[in-house]
Amino acid sequence: MTIRILLVDDHPIVRQGLKTLLEGRSGWEVIGEASDGAEAVEKAKELNPDVMVLDVTMPRMNGLEACRVLRRQAPRLEILFVTQHDSPQMMREAMDAGARGYVVKSNAARDLLAAVEAVSQHRVFTALNGREATGSN
Amino acid sequence: MKLRILLADDHEIVRRGLRSLLEKREGWEVCGEASDGREAIEKALELKPDVVIVDIGMPNLNGLDTTRQLLQLDPHFKVIVLTITDSDQVIREALDAGARGFVLKSDAARDLVAAVEALQNKRMFFTPRVNDLVLAGFLEKGHAVSRTEAPKLPTLTAREREITQLLAEGNSSKEVACLLNLSTKTVETHRSNIMRKLSFHSIRDLVVYAIKNNLIQIELPPPPPPKAPVGPAAL
Repeated sequence: MTIRILLVDDHPIVRQGLKTLLEGRSGWEVIGEASDGAEAVEKAKELNPDVMVLDVTMPRMNGLEACRVLRRQAPRLEILFVTQHDSPQMMREAMDAGARGYVVKSNAARDLLAAVEAVSQHRVFTALNGREATGSN
Repeated sequence: MKLRILLADDHEIVRRGLRSLLEKREGWEVCGEASDGREAIEKALELKPDVVIVDIGMPNLNGLDTTRQLLQLDPHFKVIVLTITDSDQVIREALDAGARGFVLKSDAARDLVAAVEALQNKRMFFTPRVNDLVLAGFLEKGHAVSRTEAPKLPTLTAREREITQLLAEGNSSKEVACLLNLSTKTVETHRSNIMRKLSFHSIRDLVVYAIKNNLIQIELPPPPPPKAPVGPAAL
């Protein structure tokens, strides 16, 4: 299955790590990158990705604000947060903002592929440290 | 002969990014990876890399103490410190620990290759802010008291710093003892000495000290949204 992904993180080295992981899957393509929320909103409009992998803490516009804007602007886009914040409160805030998935950065190498697969099929995927990943329709 | 590099960062995704960046260079090889400072020391002694790249904010043993211990074990190690901040204090500590390179994580994609290249050519690599700070320190030399000098705190030994970090990360004395191959009683003695030296009365004081002194790092939540709402009309 082809999945077109937009990567959003303010650290290029993190984007590079995520990209090598995602592009290891046949048919998955990273079609663009952005380094803050405002750029993510612009690129989503221009590139129309299936899934956005989005960081929370970024300059200019953080990921939560970008997510709220994108929910209105691109309702078919699925948003997956990949963040340092290993916190149930932050996860709740992200899901309330309209994300479909939430993964902690320290576990990204373990959880990211399953999470992208789930959200691309419009299923919820959340995983905090020390807890089993959960998913639902 | 290939230049062999050891990568130490607690995030596998960051290590992947760094590896992919470094291995694009012909003749460079990432010979090993470590996810905390203790593992970095073990692997460095085993693999004898030409360059060790360490993140400052690693669990169990942070990057600065890893650098100190590595250079005590073998002064020939060449260490580049990766950091999320270039505050004066972090720069001073990295220089003091003996790092030969200092790269901001946010600029790693741009600066890290140049930093490794510099070390390969027996030079050092620092960000412009480090250069400014070193120059300012040089110009201030001779003044009775440096304007930027931090207040002196009692010095902890290397072992006490390790134990402070582990306690501040939430480990019990028993868990620290297990991690460091010490008896619980020895750890308790170190703990009492640390609290006495720093005049602390609670673990909370110790956690605040560990954060302020870069023994551990915390992720702050994003700042609140701006007052003016951002909506589709603004796009």
